Amino acid sequence: MEPLPKEHESLEKFNVISDLFSQAITGELIGMSNFASLAETIDDYTEKIEAVEHANSERMHAEVFLDYAKKTGLKTKINLKGEYWRNIREQFLSYAKKKDFIACLIIQEVILESFAVSMYTDVGTAIGGEAGRLFLAIADEEKEHLEHSTDILVSELKEDPEAFINKFEEIHFNCMTILAQFSATTDIRGHCGVCNGDCMKGSLHHVGLEIEKMRGNALSLYAKTLDNIGIPGEKSIVWIAQLPA
Amino acid sequence: MDSSTPCLDFAVVGHQDSWKNIAAFVNSLRNKSQGDLSLEKIKNIFPFIPARDLFRVKVNSKTGATINGVYIDTFIEPDKLNTSYLRSNIKKVHDGIACAKKMGAKVVALGGFTSIVLEGNFDSLSTKNSKFTTGNTLTSAFIVKSIEKAAFQKNVDLKLSSVLIVGATGDIGMACVQYLKNRTHKLLLCARNEKQLKKLSDQLDDENIENDYSITLGDLIPKADIIICVASSNITEISNCKENVIISDAGYPKNLDSKVENNFDLIFHGGMGQVNFGFEFYPDYTDSFYQYPAPNIIHGCILEAMILAFENKYEDYSIGKGNISIDKIEEIYELGLKHGITVAPFYNSKGLIIN
Repeated sequence: MEPLPKEHESLEKFNVISDLFSQAITGELIGMSNFASLAETIDDYTEKIEAVEHANSERMHAEVFLDYAKKTGLKTKINLKGEYWRNIREQFLSYAKKKDFIACLIIQEVILESFAVSMYTDVGTAIGGEAGRLFLAIADEEKEHLEHSTDILVSELKEDPEAFINKFEEIHFNCMTILAQFSATTDIRGHCGVCNGDCMKGSLHHVGLEIEKMRGNALSLYAKTLDNIGIPGEKSIVWIAQLPA
Repeated sequence: MDSSTPCLDFAVVGHQDSWKNIAAFVNSLRNKSQGDLSLEKIKNIFPFIPARDLFRVKVNSKTGATINGVYIDTFIEPDKLNTSYLRSNIKKVHDGIACAKKMGAKVVALGGFTSIVLEGNFDSLSTKNSKFTTGNTLTSAFIVKSIEKAAFQKNVDLKLSSVLIVGATGDIGMACVQYLKNRTHKLLLCARNEKQLKKLSDQLDDENIENDYSITLGDLIPKADIIICVASSNITEISNCKENVIISDAGYPKNLDSKVENNFDLIFHGGMGQVNFGFEFYPDYTDSFYQYPAPNIIHGCILEAMILAFENKYEDYSIGKGNISIDKIEEIYELGLKHGITVAPFYNSKGLIIN
């Protein structure tokens, strides 16, 4: 095993970075599974190919994170059955079973990618070094997924604004509620099943992060994405205000 | 109606002035079963929300006309309005402006702190479709007209009175100086920047207007018969006033009631107007945003945009600093009367003031 990079050398920092990698890898694997399931919902073969490509891109992100974790001896724990990630996956599958392509796109490419892009950016900026650059590079790639979905959803909203907004509202409360609980200052639904010891949120200061800011930035990006899609601000403010905190 | 609805008559870009109002608003959006969020939790979320439209407003004129507008909040934190947060706040104001433009608002009022953007470099803001105003002309009109009304009601002769203007070198302060300089016995000028104060005083000297100035409020208060505060946020106490002084609390936030010793004759919130033919909010957030003791009261700066919209007068009306003339004050005030928009009745934080 190569020596631990200098930036991981304090035990507290090592533990937090291990947990951050565990969450990132688990999240990427959930994304990979979601895109694979999404491919099944699509009839158009070019879009089917695109969904499989996205699944592959998430697989590669997971592998890049895993390789770095292995190289530096981080103590990672991958658990797709953890409380929050499992629930998000179940929500996704419930729409995939109905072959609801738009709902799947909203969950994976708007809700999850908003949080991924924002949190990877915060983590990458805070931890710096090779690990930081890795998070920032992957955040950039995830941004493309966010932009890709926005174009499709803008057209979808124009076709039937009322039906689209009602659908989005339902998905928001089904999925964002889970992410809001996951990112609250305390674990509202209990331990996530991914972090090694106690919840890492209380230890984030060891790497210069605060859960309040990470959560705020993620909600901010989510709100901006809703704006870009064309969801009226007067609607999205209510959706955000009704989330658990 | 969605966010792409074209041709809104007006938009107001603003911010909240207290965490109490913000907490009331956020919790009013939640279902009873979800329970209220604590102020601490609200403070962790609120500042991160990007500028957005919160509600539509329909306003009725005395002429029978109606106009439609929107309120856009910048989510600037009420306790972060000072210069330390200038850069991040200006970014939020620009986000609010972008939102107003995207929604196609024909005239946009930048209320409260957000007007700072228009007092600086505004060239890049105005477009063919969206014009901008600080609303400071009507705010100034309401301040000076309410002072005239108060003086009349209290049998105070303005021509024999010394009027203290706190915040005299700001845009609204300078407008008050212009309007009152030939209507009062003496002007007393107070502001933070001594150089700017001296310049203003020198200009008044050149016009043979009796005046005195100081950066220390306590030096001027004992000489004042009437006090207009357009910069009340920096005032911690008003003491040693003359007996029966009249005070217009026209600054931001309006909180002088608790800072003045009790020998005043009248203290009221200045710069406010009333829409006599009413307005409606959609959704109706009046319980959270509407905390006034009389119906249909709104800030003068917001009403200026409404009047411009009623008049189809889509132009950059109040912009820059020190450009408000007496003619403009009279013009916007008269246009307001035409649409049933008048100076608000006298009130302060304790309620309506009944003579």
